[in-house]
Amino acid sequence: MRIKLNSIFVDNQDKARKFYTEVLGFKVSKDIPVGEFKWLTVVSPEGPDDLELVLEPNANPAAKAFQESILEQGIPITAFEVDDIQAEYRRLKDLGVVFTMNPTQTGPVTVAVFSDTCGNLIQLYQG
Amino acid sequence: MLHRDVLVRLCQARDFLREADEGARPVHHVARDIGMSTYHFIRLFKAVFGETPKQCQLRARLDRAKVLLLTTESSVTDICMEIGFSSLGSFSSVFSRRVGLSPSAYRAATRPKAQVAGEIPRQLVPGCLSLMSGSPG
Repeated sequence: MRIKLNSIFVDNQDKARKFYTEVLGFKVSKDIPVGEFKWLTVVSPEGPDDLELVLEPNANPAAKAFQESILEQGIPITAFEVDDIQAEYRRLKDLGVVFTMNPTQTGPVTVAVFSDTCGNLIQLYQG
Repeated sequence: MLHRDVLVRLCQARDFLREADEGARPVHHVARDIGMSTYHFIRLFKAVFGETPKQCQLRARLDRAKVLLLTTESSVTDICMEIGFSSLGSFSSVFSRRVGLSPSAYRAATRPKAQVAGEIPRQLVPGCLSLMSGSPG
């Protein structure tokens, strides 16, 4: 048994595709039409290249309620690891990304939190 | 850095913008309601949510139109009025451009043959399970 997929809800898949590729720098792995929506996944070029993040539509009312409530509470939906959080923070800020937490040392890790423009907060961490 | 209370106000604004019935709420009213200048509100909203307040509003109204087309017997004209468009022509052309089908063609193509009262059509409810277990269409 292996973990090959993880998923997050997004409020619009076109917007998500744009942000996760053009801003974050991930690569589209699958983009398959499924009815109204798409099976849309991205992978990180920094690897592991077989671990996919599913950008899943939040059109299910339960998903929407969950996503909106977590956002309003300021809680990140997931976290991505980076090698140099200060450099990544500056790069993303220059691209217009909004941070709700600037890089902050918390114990052994440094974390920062930004909006993914699709209804989520995402945490970055450098271990 | 965006402070927590500003994020909460932007989330509230998004809720206001999505209240599609009785016509769209003007963006400058929403900005005023959450205590921001219109300019600052539009700029911040776009940076956080990836679309302008107007775009958010339009998307919400079209999503509502889709649900009404699939779940009610209302005419396209009534649905157009209900989601706050004043002209059928502009509703039809905006809907067609965004969705790829006219409202009536969308209804004909996607409406289930039998509708269970109170149930949301499967087309509009994706989820890990429905996507992973096969086409919801």
